[in-house]
Amino acid sequence: MIFRRKDEQSLDNEIRDYMDRETQLNVEGGMPEEEARLAARRKLGSPSYVKEETRAVWGWTWIERLWQDLEYSGRTMAKNPGFTLVAILSLAIGIGANSAMFSLADALVLRPLPVPHPSGVVSVGFKNSVGGFGNVNASYREYIDIRDRSKSFEGLMAYSINAVGFAAHPGETPHMRMGMLVSGNFFRVLDVEPELGRAFRDDEDQVPGRDAVVILSHDLWEHQLAADPAILGRKVHLSGIEFTVIGVAPAHFTGLDPYFRPEFFVPVAMWPRFVNDPKEKPLEARDYRNLSIRGRLKPGVTMSQAQAELTSISTALEQAYPATNHNQKAFVLSELQRRIEQSPPDAELAAMLIVLAGGVLLVACANVAGLLLSRVPVRSREMALRLAIGAGRPRLIRQLLTESFLMALAGGVAGLAVGYASVSFLQKLQPPTDLPVAVSVTIDQRALVFSLAVSLLSAILFGLAPAFQTTRADLIGALRTAGEDTPRKHRLLGRNALVVAQVALSLVLLMVATFVYRGFRVMIGEGPGFRTDHILMMTFDPGLVRYDQARTQQFFRRVEDQARSLAGVRSAALASAIPMNPTGLDTANILPEGYQFPKGVENASLFSCTVDENYFDTMDIQIVRGRGIRFSDTSTAPRVAVVNEELAKHYWPGRDPIGRRFRLDTRESPWVEIVGVAKTTKYLWIAEAPQDYIYFPLAQHPQRQMTLLTLTAGNPNALAEPIRQMVRAMDSSQPVFDVRSFEDFYQYRAVGQPNVIIRTIAAMGVLGLVLGLIGLYGLVAYSASRRRREIGIRMAIGAARGTVLRMVLRQGLILALSGIGVGLLASFGAERALNAMFSSHGTDFVTYILVIPGLLAVTAAAAYIPARRASRIEPMRVLRYE
Amino acid sequence: MSTREEQDRIELLQGTLDMLILRTLLFGPAHGHAIAHAIEQGSDDVLQIEHGSLYPALHRLVKQGFLSAKDGLSENNRKAKYYSLTPKGRKHLSAENSKWDRMAQAIARIMRPAGEEGQP
Repeated sequence: MIFRRKDEQSLDNEIRDYMDRETQLNVEGGMPEEEARLAARRKLGSPSYVKEETRAVWGWTWIERLWQDLEYSGRTMAKNPGFTLVAILSLAIGIGANSAMFSLADALVLRPLPVPHPSGVVSVGFKNSVGGFGNVNASYREYIDIRDRSKSFEGLMAYSINAVGFAAHPGETPHMRMGMLVSGNFFRVLDVEPELGRAFRDDEDQVPGRDAVVILSHDLWEHQLAADPAILGRKVHLSGIEFTVIGVAPAHFTGLDPYFRPEFFVPVAMWPRFVNDPKEKPLEARDYRNLSIRGRLKPGVTMSQAQAELTSISTALEQAYPATNHNQKAFVLSELQRRIEQSPPDAELAAMLIVLAGGVLLVACANVAGLLLSRVPVRSREMALRLAIGAGRPRLIRQLLTESFLMALAGGVAGLAVGYASVSFLQKLQPPTDLPVAVSVTIDQRALVFSLAVSLLSAILFGLAPAFQTTRADLIGALRTAGEDTPRKHRLLGRNALVVAQVALSLVLLMVATFVYRGFRVMIGEGPGFRTDHILMMTFDPGLVRYDQARTQQFFRRVEDQARSLAGVRSAALASAIPMNPTGLDTANILPEGYQFPKGVENASLFSCTVDENYFDTMDIQIVRGRGIRFSDTSTAPRVAVVNEELAKHYWPGRDPIGRRFRLDTRESPWVEIVGVAKTTKYLWIAEAPQDYIYFPLAQHPQRQMTLLTLTAGNPNALAEPIRQMVRAMDSSQPVFDVRSFEDFYQYRAVGQPNVIIRTIAAMGVLGLVLGLIGLYGLVAYSASRRRREIGIRMAIGAARGTVLRMVLRQGLILALSGIGVGLLASFGAERALNAMFSSHGTDFVTYILVIPGLLAVTAAAAYIPARRASRIEPMRVLRYE
Repeated sequence: MSTREEQDRIELLQGTLDMLILRTLLFGPAHGHAIAHAIEQGSDDVLQIEHGSLYPALHRLVKQGFLSAKDGLSENNRKAKYYSLTPKGRKHLSAENSKWDRMAQAIARIMRPAGEEGQP
């Protein structure tokens, strides 16, 4: 190495100098020249030995040693291209699967908030319901109480997600934009500095409706306002109110939710001016719980301390405001807890995919470990040689581990390519919507670091045992027989166990893939329970252009009536939530009459929908008892609802639910009577378990935002333009969004998304199997090659080829069968876990019948090929070779 | 070369060799061969420097800061590396010296208790 050349030269000179002098001394003592030189040499010892010893004193820096090891490893790997290729490919598949699954899990659940010190941010909110997707919200008054009374937090901010009609210029048709109403300390608590302008001042969230200032998201500024550098001070219109732009949020700040990206931020004090119904009092009503609270704990304060404080605050609130706060318990949640609460299916999916990918990686590592172990006899000889000439065992182990790391890194780089390819496939999970919602599955820095970590971990997994075994060589034995000895029992035991584990893991992966595939197939085959074809959907939010409540409801009626009169329209209906749409969920909290909730639980939270009298007919949802929603269910008529069979079964098992009553939200609210039972359909996801659902009449639950569903005789998309024109004629400024055929939307949710997941899982099953087969094949081929001599002798003394074939095959099959046995046991466990996800029961025998013979066949083939080759051995040639 | 029989020679342990090298250099800088020669001559050829242990020892002492090495010209005008004691080496030598004295006395007391004086 270059930086040692000077030292090397100097050492050479020294040794030559010594030799010269010693020789000269000997000559002076009377020896002949030649003999004198030899004597000097004897006295010094071997010059290369002296040099080696002296170099050892200099001590290599770790970089130099690493470089030496890497050079050597590179040479070794290049010398065995086939081996290296199989190992790197195995690893690429294992690591790539993990990179992709990590990216997905990151996008769904794991990615930290885009703020400094994200782990310090916690959520605070109330929860008193069973069921539902863990709503942890609070009202503005409750936020103020908690903020002022608590001492555990460095700061607590609050925000609410709201839609507005956004117009960059007056007179422009507003577009729907989603943003946040935030407390004045929002950016300060999150520690986010606006890219342009300033954050809100504390006084800007004090006086209701006074400070019309807005901070835009970077995206909105860039795409809607052409990144105008003179944006500060400009006026924009939000739902018809003039706001002054005071800042632009930085590009990296994409909001506080894995999906939803706010496009603007305004002070929470402006809330009353966005409300079109004067009865709504967002800043005063204690039960107007639409705020999310987040904050940072003070240094040294633990979650349980904060929780204790919140419990005492919420108990005090319960006593002070029994009407609104009965049974309202405040909780503090970490970011991860919050996300899991918010969307358990995502967390489950992410966890399942990560576990599967981990399985694939284990199989891949077992493969490479198997490959390395099969080279132990060959490498042992090389290692014995190096031990014999004075290398230390730790050094050799380090050398072998360096090889493993190099291989893992190469596998990791190739794995990233696999990961990139998979991620572009996973991006099909993107929901088709106009809302600023995105699942951003990308191989980012975090995924890169994760992949690197996985690579290094796999190197240890597959490299450690072979490294120890290779260097444990008994010197003489290894040097004498060049790796052609009888297989040692303990050595093969390890490899056998590896292969059994591989086959077992492959089986579990395949089984899980098949379970999931069949689960989805069954669900999709059963259908969602409602019509999906020939429907055009289109969403309106007249509140965005400041329609008041009465005008909004009038508008909905007119739109529906006019749509029905268009040519080709068979029927039209209004609904507040479209089935299978995860971004537009309505929830209702119900207290069924006479039903006793557990202590601390006030009501049950479930998904709901507000519909008009045409909904059930248009969507073809069967009413199994009682009646549907009627035109006569007006705001002055008795309050009614239609529930689904599941809810009826849940609260009134075996009894007629018609005529039963429940209250909404609190024990003070009026009774609602159940007048009908609808068939249970899918509401959110094609593979969901049957869940409680409830329908309310639109006239009794006026909504701001409704979707018009128009059933046509022909192509629904052809109807889009006529309806747009119709709406434009009614009010040219009225924004219309999410216009698409319901079939497209359904296909994406029910077929497209599950397909991505099915294929991902199936891919992992197949990859696991292929890797497992390579492992089995490798082991049988290896042990057959180790027994060549034995086989040769057997055949020389008369063993038939068939006997040899059976002998080798038997060994492979025993391994495969053991693996399948272990895998079966594990599969039963996996099926239990999956049943919970797919709301199915019992054992899916079809899957077992499909998978096990298939796996048996391919494992038999993997064992047969090397067995056949072994039986083709020419005994004379083998023995002569000996 | 030495006139003594092979079995009379004593090979030096590492620590001892280090001490002897330092002691040899007390009289001034010297090159490797001269140091080895001085040790062997000084001990009447009883002490033999083990094959290949001289240069590692020299380089180790340089690394520890007890010696400094400098390229110079030898008497016959050839390039040679001269080693000399550093102040740190000098201190180390005197410490080693007294340690050695104490150890030699202690060993002598055990090996030759007063009563056995004079016995072979």
